[in-house]
Amino acid sequence: MESLLSFARGPLFRLCFMIMLLGLARLLFLDLWEAYRAYRKAGDKKMPWRLIVRRSLEWAVPVKRVSRNPQLYYIVSILFHIGLIVVPVFLFAHINLWKSSIGISWPALPFQWALWLTISTIVFAAVLLIERLSVKAIHLLSRGQDYFWLILLLFPFVTGFVCANIRISAGLYEFLMAVHVLSGDLIFLLIPFTKIAHCVLAPFSQVIDALAWKFPPATDQDILETLDRFK
Amino acid sequence: MSRVQNTKLILWLLTGFAAAVALNRYVFGLGVTTNLSDKTPWGFWIGFDVMAGVALAAGGFVTTAIFYIMKREEFHPLVKPAVLTAFLGYLAVVAGLLVDLGLPWNIWHMIIYWNPHSPLFEVGWCVMLYTTVLLLEFSPVPLEKSSRYAKIRDFLMKFRFPLVLLGIMLSTLHQSSLGTLFLIMRYRLYPLWYSHILPIEFFISAVALGLMMVAFESLASHWLYRREPETSLVSRLCAAAAWVLVIYFVAKMTDIIASGKLGLIFNGKWQSDLFIVEVLVSTIIPAALFFVPKYRGNTRVQWIGSSMVVVGMVLNRIDVGGLAMLDSTASYTPSWMEIAISFGVVSAAVLVFLFAIENFHIWEIRPEDPESLTYTPPSFDYSSRTWLGVPSMASLTKHTLAFVLSFAVGMALMSGKRLHAEGIDQITVRPATAADSLCDTLCINGNRDDQFVDFSHAGHISRIGKDSCWVCHHLSLPGEKLSSCWECHTSMYREADFFKHDWHASSAGANLKCDDCHTPGVTRTAQSAKKCTACHPAYKFASDEKDVAQEYDIPSYVDAMHKLCVSCHTVEARQMKDKPNLAQCPTCHRVGTPPDLRADMKWDVRLPHFDNLILPDVRRNGK
Repeated sequence: MESLLSFARGPLFRLCFMIMLLGLARLLFLDLWEAYRAYRKAGDKKMPWRLIVRRSLEWAVPVKRVSRNPQLYYIVSILFHIGLIVVPVFLFAHINLWKSSIGISWPALPFQWALWLTISTIVFAAVLLIERLSVKAIHLLSRGQDYFWLILLLFPFVTGFVCANIRISAGLYEFLMAVHVLSGDLIFLLIPFTKIAHCVLAPFSQVIDALAWKFPPATDQDILETLDRFK
Repeated sequence: MSRVQNTKLILWLLTGFAAAVALNRYVFGLGVTTNLSDKTPWGFWIGFDVMAGVALAAGGFVTTAIFYIMKREEFHPLVKPAVLTAFLGYLAVVAGLLVDLGLPWNIWHMIIYWNPHSPLFEVGWCVMLYTTVLLLEFSPVPLEKSSRYAKIRDFLMKFRFPLVLLGIMLSTLHQSSLGTLFLIMRYRLYPLWYSHILPIEFFISAVALGLMMVAFESLASHWLYRREPETSLVSRLCAAAAWVLVIYFVAKMTDIIASGKLGLIFNGKWQSDLFIVEVLVSTIIPAALFFVPKYRGNTRVQWIGSSMVVVGMVLNRIDVGGLAMLDSTASYTPSWMEIAISFGVVSAAVLVFLFAIENFHIWEIRPEDPESLTYTPPSFDYSSRTWLGVPSMASLTKHTLAFVLSFAVGMALMSGKRLHAEGIDQITVRPATAADSLCDTLCINGNRDDQFVDFSHAGHISRIGKDSCWVCHHLSLPGEKLSSCWECHTSMYREADFFKHDWHASSAGANLKCDDCHTPGVTRTAQSAKKCTACHPAYKFASDEKDVAQEYDIPSYVDAMHKLCVSCHTVEARQMKDKPNLAQCPTCHRVGTPPDLRADMKWDVRLPHFDNLILPDVRRNGK
């Protein structure tokens, strides 16, 4: 168990973390490159830049949208995201690992805050999962990975919470820690290949959406042909 | 077209892997990346990246010489690819060198701080100048993509001929000066490779290799893009290469026979086997193949012959650059990280080459865009049904993914521990020994290894004068009349703390208050404090080293001794007409100096042997 843990924390972590970092960079590069090509190809280049920028900012700070259309799903989702990002990055134990391995560190979250943020993240994830299953409109839009991610994200949070706050036997602790680290590695590994890639792509989704409607000349023929193929 | 795409995929994988290793090298240093050591400072990187890289780039100047100087118009299709290969080859050399250099950020020093005595100075300048010339020679090709740059392009085209001439000149210098470099390693390099005509051998072999590299590159790229090979042109290159190889072989063997080393080829040591293999592969077999007209017109034989020359000559450069030195250096096998970086650099260069072939006017007929040949249906975002366009970046997507994955694997393979090289060992200096209690002749051997210096103490006193102690000694440690070197320069290779600030301040030591030395109200620094002589009036300094005592750090034993002896010997050597070599290493370092070099020194003082050594501490203990 110990060797598995050190493998998951060492080589496997570096592998998955690097795949995440470079994979996201690659996705961003490919998307922007393709967007640039689409823009160059577009016959009508009147892009509503102002609108695009405004919408992008609105989505980045989602307060306005939520206040206009207050739904439980929006609010829970935003709160879930806060815990999801803040806890792993600013947890004292995680910062310590960074410090002891490559010598960089940053201010840590107070323990009580980390505790409550963890609990809130677990609770909100559960609420989101129930919503996806019960609300018909959301259920219809959901794909397999939407459920998969909610469940996968619960693993490191629950195991981390138990290991940090509940007195358990050493064997159980090691087992839960292994689950914690391995599920974390899996998350890193899958991020650039699934919908979580929105963490870098979201700021540009408005541009790409707008560009997607700029058809190059004689596209209609291609589309018809392709649609024929899909039948 | 999958042949190109698959090749590119492999190259991207290698490049990504090497990028991770390179990151490791820059973060943690050479010590953890390579198996190099102080005793074997040049390894696979020098042999393969630099020596072989430069030689492989020789195609550029050979082809331009054939086309522009000899006016052989039919070789026109080979010029642009050859110049591009040379340019990328030199860029690869620079990239490889920046990984290999201990302090790569100091590379610009060579431009400002000139050391015209150093062969590497000449090598460095040649690389810089020739890379610039190649850039100027090649840049009209990418510039013709847009009419915006037409003026710059026309301007460069005007200087094409002078640039070509300059390129040939610099190459001639540089290819041979890499050989010159090894003339200073006479006692490191195995005699079969060492030769007084090493520069000439390097130049001739570079010409042969250049021809064959152009042939190989033409064959390989045409195979990759599934085009008709340029068989007739390549066969002419092969015919020329055969003659150059013969000249090379004759020069090499004549030199070996003339210097009486023929026996070394057949003495059964591993070096002689290596030499035989190298000469067979690089010279004899390909030359024999290419002399038969029927064979050299055959594409398959062209493949075999040109790759043999390429592999053989690369082996030759690796041999000279390190492999044939292994007997006189510490044992060394390149680490997998060294090999990964070398292959990565080459892969990146090939990728750029393929990119240039596909995007610029390098060939008379440009290869078609590999992706335009296969129809890929337009793709839709399946949630919004938005049309995303034709996925014309299929290969880019695949190749970047390959890069990312292999980079991550490279990172995973690095050791996760906090790594650092050990640096220089702390070796405490031991005093010089003498055969007699008067210390007439000292055996200076600070680290007690087999390399010692016989120092005629009495002889120096009689030459310089009786009251001249201060010329060499700092007089002295407080409370003493004179101190030996090792008493302050306590570390063999590291700087030492001379002043012992804390000892002066502690109650167990000198028990001084801060204000005893530092002026109150002034920032307490070494410079603003009292001079040592204020308390220790007997303390004197050798020559002009007065302010050194104000710094706490004093040089290592080795540095201090070298500075002391060499600076004085240099002055003396200029004055004494009969001893021009006085300031050179073997004057003092006699042990291990080969007899013939010792004879070169023109004089030989027989020194007593130190069989029964007595420590010269008589002075202190006797008191």
